[in-house]
Parts: sequence; C-alpha cells; structure tokens
Amino acid sequence: MRHPFPYEHFRNKSFVFFSLVGTLPLAPALRSRLAAAGFQTAQELLDTGPCGLSKEIGISREEALEALQVVRQECHGDAARTPGGSGATRKCTALELLEEEQTQGFIITFCSALDTILGGGVQLTKITEICGAPGVGKTQLCMQLAVDVQIPECFGGVAGEAVFVDTEGSFMVDRVVDIAAACVRHCHLIAEAQQEEDHREALETFSLENILSHIYYFRCRDYIELLAQVYLLPEFLSEHSKVRLVVIDGIAFPFRHDFEDLSLRTRLLNGLAQQLIIIANDHKTAVVLTNQMTTRIGQSQSTLVPALGESWGHAATVRLIFHWDNSQRLATLYKSPSQKESTIPYDITVSIPLGWRFTDGSTLSAVKEFSGKSDKGLCSLSVAFQLPSEGKQ
Amino acid sequence: MVVLRAGLCPGLTEEMIQLLRANGIRTVVDFVSSDLENVAWKCSLSYKALVAVRRVLLAQFSAFPANGADLYEELKSSTAILPTGSPSLDQLLDSGLYTGEVTELMGAPGSGKTQVCLGIAASVSLGLKQHVLFLDSTGGFTASRLYQMLRAQTEDEEEQLEALQRIQVVRVFNIYELLSALQELRDQLQGLCVVSSVGPLKLVVLDSVSAVIYPLLGGRQSEGLALMMQLSKELKTLAREFSLAVVVTNQVTRDGSTGPLKPALGRSWSFVPSTRLLLESREAPWEKATTQRVASLAKSPRQPTGVQVELDIGNGDVLEPSPVTPAQGL
Repeated sequence: MRHPFPYEHFRNKSFVFFSLVGTLPLAPALRSRLAAAGFQTAQELLDTGPCGLSKEIGISREEALEALQVVRQECHGDAARTPGGSGATRKCTALELLEEEQTQGFIITFCSALDTILGGGVQLTKITEICGAPGVGKTQLCMQLAVDVQIPECFGGVAGEAVFVDTEGSFMVDRVVDIAAACVRHCHLIAEAQQEEDHREALETFSLENILSHIYYFRCRDYIELLAQVYLLPEFLSEHSKVRLVVIDGIAFPFRHDFEDLSLRTRLLNGLAQQLIIIANDHKTAVVLTNQMTTRIGQSQSTLVPALGESWGHAATVRLIFHWDNSQRLATLYKSPSQKESTIPYDITVSIPLGWRFTDGSTLSAVKEFSGKSDKGLCSLSVAFQLPSEGKQ
Repeated sequence: MVVLRAGLCPGLTEEMIQLLRANGIRTVVDFVSSDLENVAWKCSLSYKALVAVRRVLLAQFSAFPANGADLYEELKSSTAILPTGSPSLDQLLDSGLYTGEVTELMGAPGSGKTQVCLGIAASVSLGLKQHVLFLDSTGGFTASRLYQMLRAQTEDEEEQLEALQRIQVVRVFNIYELLSALQELRDQLQGLCVVSSVGPLKLVVLDSVSAVIYPLLGGRQSEGLALMMQLSKELKTLAREFSLAVVVTNQVTRDGSTGPLKPALGRSWSFVPSTRLLLESREAPWEKATTQRVASLAKSPRQPTGVQVELDIGNGDVLEPSPVTPAQGL
C-alpha cells in the first residue's frame, strides 16, 4: 500500500532515496517494466517490498529480491562505502585538491630534461601515455619507471611498488636487473656524499632482490585477458596498497588486429579508459600506457599519428610522443593539463658498470641505461659515471 | 506515469482504486484518457464522482500554458550572462555564457578544452564571486594550473584562497555516478538537504560528457542512448530551473581515417547544447609547440556561425580577434 510521498520526513536523510528508477543500475528489461508499472523513485521500490514488487510487475520473488538488494546497496552505499571508491569522498573544493597535489610526489624518470617538461616527473593519479615508433625507447622507459617508483622517500622517490602488464612480451628481466643495479649504485653514491642516517637505513631495504620482488608482472595475450586483468586490478591494488605505478606496455597491440566491429572496439577502449582513471584516482597510482604509431594518409602528405583512433586520444591526461628528427631522438609533451607543450632531445646512453674499460659506446650493446643530459640532482652522478677520464677503473 | 494511489486527491478511495485496477486503469494517464461513462458503467461507480476526480487530477498533473510576455519578463529578470574571462571568447558567445542554457566545447585531444574550462571557472569564481561546480570525468582537473591562472589575475592571496574554496570538484567516472551527483545537486538547490556547501551556484562545468557516455554506446546495447537522453534532460532542466550556465566538453571523431572532424555522440546529442564551439590548433602539434588555439562557433541561437577567434591558452593573454572568416559548417 503506497502513500503520498512525505518529503518532510526525509529532509535530513540520504538524498539517494529520491533517485529516479531510470538512474539505478538495474537491467534494462527490468527498468522498462518498472517504468510501465509507474514506479518513479527508489523509495517507492523499497516501500513496496519483494512480494508486492513481484506481483505488480510480474517477476519472480527471487528476481524482485535481487533488484531490491541492488537498490538498497545504491541507497546505503553512499553512506558506508570504503574510502577506496566512494562517490561522497570524491567531492572536495579546489583548495583541498591543491593542497593534496602539492604534497604528492612524482616518479622521476632519471632524465632531468624529461622530468622538467613533465613538471617534476610522472604524476600520480593521472594517466600518462607514451607513443612512439618501434625502437624509440618506450619499453625502456617503462622498465626504468618500474624501478624508479621504488626509490625511498629520502632520496626523492615515492617508495612504492609497481605492476607491469605486458601484452607484447617485450619485458626483459635481465635488463631490469641492470637498471635496478644502476639505480642502487646511484643511491649509494648519494648516501656516501651526504652521510645522513635515514639514507643508510633506507639503503638497507633498497636492494636488487627487493626491487625485483616488488614488480608484479602480468602477461596478457589478447584483449579479453587484458580487459579482465584491468577490471580485476582494483582488488589486487586493495591488497597491495603500496603499489604506486601501473604500467601497461602495449595497449594498442591487442586491439589492432582481428577487430571487425570497430564500434565495439571504441566502446571497449572507452570502458577501459574509464576503469584506468578510476584505478589511478582511487588508489593514488600513476598509470603509464604505451601506444604505437600509425600513418594517416592525408591529401598531400602522410603523417604519423598515435594509434587507436581519435577517441582514444582523450583517455590519457598526459601524452608524450617520442619521435625521430634525422638521427636525433626527440620527446614532445603533446598534452598536459598543467605544462606547456615542449620538445626535448634525449639519448639512450650507455652506462659503465664498475670493472669495465670504457670503449666506444656503439660496440657495447649489451648494457644500456636510459638517462639524459643534465647536471642536476641524481643525474649528475650518472654523468660523472660515464666520463671516460674518471671511470678508468 | 503516476500510479493511482489512495489519497492522491480527495474522492479517490481505496475501493475505487481496486475497482479501476480490475478494469485495467492503473495510472493517471489511463484514467484521464478513458471514457468516463464507460468506466462508470463497468465499475459501477458514480459518474459525478469520477468527473470530480478527473478535474482534480488534471489540475494536479497537467502543464499550464504560460503567457509569452510573462515568460519574457521572467527570463529578463532571471537570466545572467557570465563573462568567461577571455574577451574574444566572450565576443564569440555574444558577451558570455548565458544561464539557463547548455554550451558545448568540442575539440581534438590537446586542443585546450580543459584549459578553457579552468579559465572560465577561475573567472566566474574570482571575478563574479559565484560558486562553481566542476564535474570531472577524465581526471584532467589540475588544481595547480587553476591556482596559476588565479595568481595571474590577482595578487591578493586572500582572494585566491576564497576563489579556490568556491570551486567544488566532484569526480564522476561513470554515468550512474554522474546522474547521482546531479541528483544531489538538485536536492541541495531545492533545499532538501541540510548540508548546503553550495552557495550561490551559477556555473556547472562537465568535463567531459563523452568520456562517460562512450562506454555505453555502440555494440548491441541500446540503453546507452536512453541514459544519454536522461542526462541531457537532467542538465537542461537544472539549467532552466535554477538559472545555471552549464558548460560541457565533448570529443571530436572522424569518419574513417581521413574524413572531416565532427562532434562525437552523434545527432541525438547535437540537439542538446544551444551553443557549440570548436577548438583547434593551427598545425600538427608536435612539429611546433604553441599555445595558440582557434575557436570557431559551430552552433549558436544568437550569432552567425563560422566566426573564428584566436585564443592563447598559455597565459590567458588574449590576442586581437582575427577578422571574421567563414569556416566549414559542422
């Protein structure tokens, strides 16, 4: 038995009771039946109860119970959701957001020019996309970031763990070992130079085994596995709350072949993008994606553009494009909410491990390290490392 | 489609409802559109009582026609025009954003839609001292950039902090969250919620609408369109009832890989905003870094379309508006 809607009674209660049936996440067939029967608000549904509901719209008791469960969750969920993903806690003033942003750390890339154009490094809670032709250094940068995210806070890092989702099979463990070893060496040198207590303590836990054991590696072979992995990530991240970086190396690869229905592809990609944004936001992680380039043939010329189409361009908040200009590699910041567009040159240089003689860089192909030209901060040590006159060892 | 309930109006009793229901009349629409003589005979109810009930129901539920002159007076007193902070953009929009209407900004990735939205929010919050609601569905809202813009407009720290506090940011990443955020806003504006952190609200920015709608369209499901229309109805009624200016951002897509750019979300959505602006940059972006953008008017109820102006999204400095050049219609 229903009565006229007592608005005054609900003045201080949750406003979600007034939400229209059309906005509740129910199955479309059920929703149309409810609309035909004249139900308008969630409160009316809850008042009717499962027996009344099943009689009114002609569904079984179990289905009515399930539907009411969903409605109840929706109504009470706002009040009692976990801090991980509540609509209520995602609301704040710009001032609070500013304070949050100013205390947030960045994941440095060990190339200070790149860090500068990014505004300090790869930002947490945002999606960064790296596009480039094959062989330009995207996977190298991803592996570098997976190591850099683990740098302890006293050295300027965020002390987090990393999740690496690989779709192309380009993850090389021995390469990561080299990068991690070089990173540990750099931190040791800083600690020796500055001689502070917390540096020494942090270095005890910052070792090669530790770094490797905190990179969680997932291999996805097709787009279904990739989608499943991304949709299961929030649970994984709730258990491993120290993860600060999620890398998806090769987001274009599973979607670029064998897709007949392009509108389905757009829909899946957009759903994936929204899920990644939710992950980045709720768990305070940086999400880094790598994308391929494709050719757009225009009327008079052809240009290289990022793959996956126009709509994918909106998924990432920050977009970096790596390209060639004759024989110089360039990195361009193409899209960013807070930094201007700029281009910097970079090199993939060679790092000299202790005990080796410095020879002409082009013959040392086994060991490479991604670093850039700079003379500030951590990078100064890597430059000193590579000068032949010093590193005679 | 309101179901007939006892107590909906005097004279409508529970037995009457049961009798009507037994004869297939469940909602107000069924009742009002049926032949009352027939109903009186089939349900053995008094014809006079039914006519009285119908009169009350019509008075309660039907819409009343309004006098055009009254409507004009009401609009004159309740519509405000919000300056966007950029004089050339204001010129394009016929002196600013009109409250009661939905304005759309569209552009390719990196064309500056979020920057323009931040600029508008900063200008309304700082210049007009009104509250702003920013619904962010892409994660692109950066408070430090907003702060940079505010610092460029005023030196007074007190004012900057107050302006920041007047902008409320809600992160909504799917359509249901967006709809419940709008519902919450409606309840706050109607005074049904005691907690009212929304002061004199004049501007609602939704960045971007295509990010929440795209995952629902395509494939074989048809409820995406229904939800999109529900969202548009909610935005338009909020704008009209509470005299808000609503700004939404949208993507652009191409037909095939070489077609011209067109706004996303299709024809159904194209009827929703009353004004549409297209933002583009002049040349391929990674050959020459630039903060210049071109804004052109694609749809407007007041201005001729095709007008273009140049904007600088870097510092908020405005260039001289370029001479009117007709652009390709969209």
